[in-house]
Amino acid sequence: MKPLLVIGLGNPLMGDDGVGCAVAGRLADDPRLPEEVEVVSGGCDLLRYAAQMEGRSRVMVLDAVYESAEPGCILVFEDPGAELDATQDHAHHLSAGQAIQLLQMTMPLRATLVGIGVSSAGFEPWLSPLMESRMPAILDRVLQELVWTSSM
Amino acid sequence: MKTIVVEHLARVEGHGGITVELEGDAVSDVRFDVFEGARLLEPLVRGKRYDEVSPAMSRICSICSVAHSLTSLKATENAFGVRISPQTELLRELLYRGESIESHALHLFLLALPDYLNYPSATALAADKPDIVLLGLRLKKLGNRIQETIGGRAIHPVNVVPGGFGKVPAVDQLLELRSALIEGMKDSDTVVDLMASLPAAEFCRGNTVYAALLSPNLDSYYAGDEVMIASNGDRSIIRAAEYRELTNEQSVPHSHARHSTFRGKPFMVGSLARITVKPRRPTGRLVVVRERLQLQAPVGNPMDNNKAQALELVRDMERALETIEQLLREGVKDERPVGVHPRAGTGTAITEAPRGLLIHSYTYDAEGRITSADVITPTALNAASMEMHFRRAVEQCAERDDAVLSKRLQMIARAYDPCISCSVHLVRRR
Repeated sequence: MKPLLVIGLGNPLMGDDGVGCAVAGRLADDPRLPEEVEVVSGGCDLLRYAAQMEGRSRVMVLDAVYESAEPGCILVFEDPGAELDATQDHAHHLSAGQAIQLLQMTMPLRATLVGIGVSSAGFEPWLSPLMESRMPAILDRVLQELVWTSSM
Repeated sequence: MKTIVVEHLARVEGHGGITVELEGDAVSDVRFDVFEGARLLEPLVRGKRYDEVSPAMSRICSICSVAHSLTSLKATENAFGVRISPQTELLRELLYRGESIESHALHLFLLALPDYLNYPSATALAADKPDIVLLGLRLKKLGNRIQETIGGRAIHPVNVVPGGFGKVPAVDQLLELRSALIEGMKDSDTVVDLMASLPAAEFCRGNTVYAALLSPNLDSYYAGDEVMIASNGDRSIIRAAEYRELTNEQSVPHSHARHSTFRGKPFMVGSLARITVKPRRPTGRLVVVRERLQLQAPVGNPMDNNKAQALELVRDMERALETIEQLLREGVKDERPVGVHPRAGTGTAITEAPRGLLIHSYTYDAEGRITSADVITPTALNAASMEMHFRRAVEQCAERDDAVLSKRLQMIARAYDPCISCSVHLVRRR
């Protein structure tokens, strides 16, 4: 069985929408990252990673979640397909929740979605100062989730 | 006055929607707001070295990252007078085919088909008709596999560099791809049967101007430096360097994307434009496919773009297989990228992204640092044409029921396969 895979999603050109990618990027360079974990910093289309997900014991997806609570808060969804909005209002791709549901039709996939709360996404190629200030805490929480997820 | 609003074609706050205003039965205004991530990158690449530009540009879109990477490289190479090898051109074309297969499979099976079959989403469609969704996922995976093998990564390719490829794929890898394509082509008939069986969706008719890349063998996505524009039997050709004669961009107050018109008329780019503009006679299996899909004569129905994508999906698998056969037959050479010697100048490249013409134009200084960049995406090129078709669809619809009109507008928008929502993709809790 291949090791746990972490996939960071988001668009780095759209401010805090890219937070999943940003966290994955920093996680990959973090010395605390468990050796048996692989990290990919992706774009917006989770379906592209179908091949990488095959044969994994578990996959963790990091993504921005539109949330009225504090930006940077962590929300963990063990059954993302059921818990996240699955309406089809995109013209170009599917949401992470929808993608996980579809991939579960093709492979035994245990996926955890770690949502990072964002309150807005602007047209800028960096995180907002508020989100940037919360990155150390976000990284700590994600690493903690990784330890829990690995032990499940 | 009555207003029809279709929101949330994209998750950009306040952007990406369609608004149609009616005075009685007459359409008084149509507005389609597109957010353009490409425009954001233009100032950000200024001052970058020539070898840093393509990786940055690939970030414009995660669905079309190959298109942006390759068009960017082509523009840079044109600026410096670099001539790539025939093998590099074949491999880039193959990589492009992979993206097209992946993109068309995603669009047709997971985004467009739920509309036709009256499902609110791909997941709802999957619950009732899993075979359709599984077919789409299988084809998407095939396209991804080509991109990963040739581009070195599932997304935002790292193996494409100025002058060639970082690493040429091994024969074993090409043989594996060949087997995967032969297996994938077994799905061709199912794709065509499915698309031919869809309920009719002819929401508007009328003269439409089409524009597509005029490539040497008439169906390349990558090679070629001229654009052909077909309008009601008339054909015009514009060289890549003179692309502004095609685009004639103008800002509009309601959209981030500037609108393009050719001789005062909106024009459509994408699959339907490609098969309409290029007078290449279909051969072999494609004759039957085209007949089955009833794509013989364009009638100005933008919904036919979906059928044209299905035709291309089948053709892309065939062409990808042919390209691999050619590479294997001629022997894969372990080539290094050709030398790149920066010089001051401008280079423009036009290619065919899955959703239509993509233009990158850069000016470099003598040290090979970019001083200006102009990126025009197919969605921006299509924006005026989309508004024209929205208007026609409302004008030609006998019903004035909001739900009917709204669904038609949304289906036309999707048929264009616009790249608007990749700009942001937040998920929301139930």
